[in-house]
Amino acid sequence: MPKISVTIDDKKLDVDVGKTILEVCKENGIEILTMCHLKGLTDVGACRLCLVEIEGVNKLLSACTTKIAANMIIRTKTEKIKRYQRITSELFFAERNHVCSVCVANGKCDLQKLGYKTEMNHIRYPYLFPECNVDTSHPWYVLDHNRCIMCTRCVRACGEVEGAHNWNVMNRGYQVRIISDFDTPWGESVTCTSCGKCVHACPTGAIWPKAIVQGQLEKKPEIIGELVEKRKMNL
Amino acid sequence: MKNNSLPTDVEPAKTDPRIKLITAKIKKENYKPDALIEILHTAQNAYGYLPMNVLKFITKALHLPPSRVYSTVTFYHFFSLKSKGEHTCLVCTGTACYVKGAQLILNEIEKQFSLKPGQVSADNKLGVSVARCIGACGLAPAVVLDEEVHAKVSSEEIVNSINAKIAV
Ligand code: SF4
Ligand code: SF4
Ligand code: FES
Ligand code: FES
Repeated sequence: MPKISVTIDDKKLDVDVGKTILEVCKENGIEILTMCHLKGLTDVGACRLCLVEIEGVNKLLSACTTKIAANMIIRTKTEKIKRYQRITSELFFAERNHVCSVCVANGKCDLQKLGYKTEMNHIRYPYLFPECNVDTSHPWYVLDHNRCIMCTRCVRACGEVEGAHNWNVMNRGYQVRIISDFDTPWGESVTCTSCGKCVHACPTGAIWPKAIVQGQLEKKPEIIGELVEKRKMNL
Repeated sequence: MKNNSLPTDVEPAKTDPRIKLITAKIKKENYKPDALIEILHTAQNAYGYLPMNVLKFITKALHLPPSRVYSTVTFYHFFSLKSKGEHTCLVCTGTACYVKGAQLILNEIEKQFSLKPGQVSADNKLGVSVARCIGACGLAPAVVLDEEVHAKVSSEEIVNSINAKIAV
């Protein structure tokens, strides 16, 4: 594979063409914060956490959806980026109703981890306190909209990997919600196969199996990527 | 509040001119899932809103995931999932109906009930809306009163029918 040279955080690197900035950073041990990215799924650039600065480009670009190009000079940890990441994580918390102490994901939640990483010691934005449903109609799983960050990992895992297309997004702006079928209760969906892929793909306590108590949630989001890799090998 | 939207699980009647219109559009678009928005436009124009059972009909015909159709419908402000008013009076203002006096009907409705297209009476009994051709041009002027198509109607007839509806 042809190589190109790039500079990331003042380090010169020779990397393969055709990869995203995020892939290159991961391979080289450079940490980038992500939320909507999940290995095995198409990147959509929804969460805006993986923003990087590229010399000569006057706006921040998302590392997960931007392909690396020759001679790029990339910075991943500038003050500006850190400021934006902190704002983004505050907005996640302000947008829905997160009460970590009673959450199944407490201690194992990617959103909680993000809060620590961005040193979010308080939230400067007014909480929206939206009215959110908790859908307990599925025999095994629960979807709690209070804890959803609209990363759409569940939507993509269900559509791209399971092929069931149970999930999608309805409405716009602050009224967006994850839906199954025609905004049908999950348990009445005609497309859901109950495979559980969305449960593992979800980075928060928004989707969880019923047979779990507070703080006991074990998710394995990496199984999505592993499954996709194994399918490629079988071909 | 009573909602006169069609029951969601009843399949729309194949004889309804509006379903024929939608079916023709789907065929013209070659059953392409990409044509979803155009087909939804046709349906919204024919019904004044998108009844659930019509959405299901379109979803099935195009072999689309239900969630994708619902996502599209709720994203665009042009589409609406609810009809307003306990009783609805949809006056077709397509070319044929317009030529045959749709405007006179609308004028009479406005005179009698003080309602313009898009408005609902204060007691929510009656909602008036217009559609751009419901696919019954041969029956012009056509008015749909609570899902019943009234063909070749006069202003007086339709006012009488409305009065009969809202009296109950
Ligand atoms: S999903 Fe995460 S951030 Fe939200 S309440 Fe649960 S633990 Fe807290
Ligand atoms: S339910 Fe979970 S995976 Fe789905 S959008 Fe919400 S946070 Fe993301
Ligand atoms: S991980 Fe790149 S935008 Fe979410
Ligand atoms: S113009 Fe009214 S039905 Fe076609």
